[in-house]
Amino acid sequence: MTGRADARARGLQTTELTKSFGGVTAVDAATVSFQHGKVNAVIGPNGSGKTTLFNCITGMIRPDAGRVSYRGDDITGKPPHRIARAGIGRSFQLCRVFARMTVLDNLLVAVRAPGLPHQLASAHDRDTIDRARGWLVRMGIDHLEHAEARNLSWGQQKLLELAGVLMAEPDTILLDEPAGGVNPALIGRIGALVQQLNAEGKTFIIVEHNMDMVMSICDHIIVFDRGRPIAEGPPAQIRSDDRVLEAYLGV
Amino acid sequence: MRSDSEPTRWRGRVARGAAIAIGCAVILAFPAVADNPYMLTVGIGILNYAVLATAWNFVGGFTGYISLGHAALSGLGAYGTALLVTCAGLPSFVALFVAAALVTVLAIPIGAAALRVRGASFVIVSIALVLILLLVFQSWASLTGGSRGLVVPRPFPALHRAEHHRVFYFLFAALLAMALVAWWVIDRSRFGLGLKAIREDEDKSAALGIATFAGKLIAFVVSAAFTALGGGLYALWFGDLDPVFQFSVLTGSTVVLMALLGGVRHLFGPLVGAVIVGAGLEYGKLEFGDTPLHLVGTGVLLGGVVMFMPEGVIPALSGVLARWFAPREASIREVTAAVLLDSRREPPPRSASGEGPAEVDR
Amino acid sequence: MALVFQSLVLGVLLGGLYALLAAGLTLYFGVMRVVMIAHSAFLILAAYLAWYFHEVTELDPLLSLPITVPVFFAAGVAMQRLLLARLRPATRTMMSVLLTFSIALIIEGGLGYVFTGTQHRIQLGYSGTSLELFGARVAVVKLIAFALAAAALLALYLVMMKSRFGQALRATIQHPEAARLIGIQTERVAGYGFGLGLATAAIGGTALALDSTIYPSLHWRWIGPLMAIIVVGGLGSVPGTAIAAMVLGMLMSLLQIPLGTTWAQTVFYLALFATLAIRPQGFFGGRLAKRF
Repeated sequence: MTGRADARARGLQTTELTKSFGGVTAVDAATVSFQHGKVNAVIGPNGSGKTTLFNCITGMIRPDAGRVSYRGDDITGKPPHRIARAGIGRSFQLCRVFARMTVLDNLLVAVRAPGLPHQLASAHDRDTIDRARGWLVRMGIDHLEHAEARNLSWGQQKLLELAGVLMAEPDTILLDEPAGGVNPALIGRIGALVQQLNAEGKTFIIVEHNMDMVMSICDHIIVFDRGRPIAEGPPAQIRSDDRVLEAYLGV
Repeated sequence: MRSDSEPTRWRGRVARGAAIAIGCAVILAFPAVADNPYMLTVGIGILNYAVLATAWNFVGGFTGYISLGHAALSGLGAYGTALLVTCAGLPSFVALFVAAALVTVLAIPIGAAALRVRGASFVIVSIALVLILLLVFQSWASLTGGSRGLVVPRPFPALHRAEHHRVFYFLFAALLAMALVAWWVIDRSRFGLGLKAIREDEDKSAALGIATFAGKLIAFVVSAAFTALGGGLYALWFGDLDPVFQFSVLTGSTVVLMALLGGVRHLFGPLVGAVIVGAGLEYGKLEFGDTPLHLVGTGVLLGGVVMFMPEGVIPALSGVLARWFAPREASIREVTAAVLLDSRREPPPRSASGEGPAEVDR
Repeated sequence: MALVFQSLVLGVLLGGLYALLAAGLTLYFGVMRVVMIAHSAFLILAAYLAWYFHEVTELDPLLSLPITVPVFFAAGVAMQRLLLARLRPATRTMMSVLLTFSIALIIEGGLGYVFTGTQHRIQLGYSGTSLELFGARVAVVKLIAFALAAAALLALYLVMMKSRFGQALRATIQHPEAARLIGIQTERVAGYGFGLGLATAAIGGTALALDSTIYPSLHWRWIGPLMAIIVVGGLGSVPGTAIAAMVLGMLMSLLQIPLGTTWAQTVFYLALFATLAIRPQGFFGGRLAKRF
């Protein structure tokens, strides 16, 4: 029992998180605990508050009430870059890359280099470039190293965005609709990548609509509806939960 | 398949090195060739513009913020230097550095306030800063001489005019070199890469761990330092300050025009722009006299650059040169398709962990 | 006390004129996120045209309005369609500053070239007369200018609130994507919005010409306060801007007593900095105001 409590304490969790926009309550006193070291998913109908939840967690939006904690530290309302440096990385729903920078530079940006001498050192040093190239090879886009990011196809940009997030060496990775607008072969590859990285120790939290992907790779699923979690558990349990069906189909 | 091969890059480097060497030679030889006071004055004017434009480009080029208010900083540097010499009795060059240091410190709260907002509000603030300083310096005549102007004693009273100009020509050249080196160091550094990321997508770079506000502020403060030095050196050279010319949104935007024209993302862009626009303004004055038409000319040029050449002259030129010297490059899509075809013909070997060379995606 | 009351009345009159001019400026920002620095230059251009009209025809400059207003409206539409719409959306705000600035330079240079830098002032039969208004002496020209501004603002209000076009305009300002989704031709609406903005410049400039000395670089004295007003009022919000204009106009007028004209003008800039420090989306705009 204490083992599980420890794990939860080391992971990402929110407590009574609330955010409203005008008259619309996007996240409604949501209390969620993500399982550290596992592949978590947040699913739910459109408008159930999933992306707002991500934005509150990563600091892009200030919640109206509630707390977010990561590994025991309170990160509520901290600026986004501090949360990123705490070890949380994220991808965006509408895939964001640095359009007019090269693919390689997109990755080099993510390097953490504290201290004045490191900051003033050249961005293009051997070791960093090798590490970046490693990620590009793993994603399969190494041949595009010198291309400008805006010239890549959508699928390639998604891989690039993921590579950039991984380059920053986060412990927990939030993926916002990684399978959005992407062909089935690539979905499969992204799914396999998530599982490999999870085996290497990374925690994932995925917002996704693609049920095949979610059911096949996720260990722990949280279902959101109207701003709060209504069910959580392993895929088999969620698949047969009446409340989930009701939320999705309005039945 | 890499998009530029080793021999092309080596050729590019040699070409750039040669261009820099020629540029240095031209700048250093200019006073010897153009030995009359008028030409020296024009040369100094262009170097002064180049310093201000390069200094501006720490903000414009690295953060993408267009500040039309840098005249506020150069004006403060100029008046600061002047007042420290006349009222505090400091030696000229000590005053120069002290004034620049003061303006740099002042730039921290100013930058912190101005950079909190983006886009339109930032531009409005930058213009407002110049206008309010203009008001203050015009009204506070007891301190600043107001519209009568403030006379700055020459640092080298023994020199006669041509010598004075020559010395300051090389001083401005030295300041320009310092600014260029600083810009170059930042450009190739991790800090600079972070700034460029902020320019591309501020929220995304924050999500990657870049301290966006601190980065922008540092760029602004460094820019302020060099701008103030440029303004102060001008005060020492020219010897006479008038608020209308020091706190002028027009001067500030001419500097922006120069940086834009040359190319804000390139080290020598502002310098090239300063040479082109500075020479153009002089020529205009000679041909057409000091009429308001030079305003029209500046306006047309600025509008033209914004509409048709927003990346500046240097990228346009290097695009032309690349087409002459570099081999034909296929588009990215063609390359992808070709490689895809190859990879489809022979499926690559996959290792046990599935980490082999991955399939190319369309 | 009489002096304070006098200042208040003058402040109201001034505020009205500021309100009309700032309304145009905030309109450009609302429809296209464009900072139109040339607005005050067009203002001065209109003033010059009114003066020139009076010089040539000996008629009251107000009679030039039927000509200048439609011409300026057309110019606004043309500017939006031919120039601003061509800018890349990603950098539009910054680039529009430079582009409109270049237009302002061309106007200032052109005016200086055609009319020289000599200062001009319209002399009308009623230029020197003033009225007694509740114990305050008010120049008739200031009253006429205020009346003109108020009428124009009322017309603008009616158009924006009561007409279909006004509805489309407000929708475009509030949420361009949503407006497009329900079938509003936002590009065309933006063009007309620009035309409206420049039309206010025509009216404001003519009003200005009645009472001021005009010279080519006069626009610099107006763009600062106007920009400050639209930020304080809330970028994109016409009612917010009108309120901010009245407040700041009255404040400036009152401060002229202790501080003198030049220092009193700093109140605009101080209000601007205060707004950006405390409440960047402006004080009076409500939900309509945009943050940037």
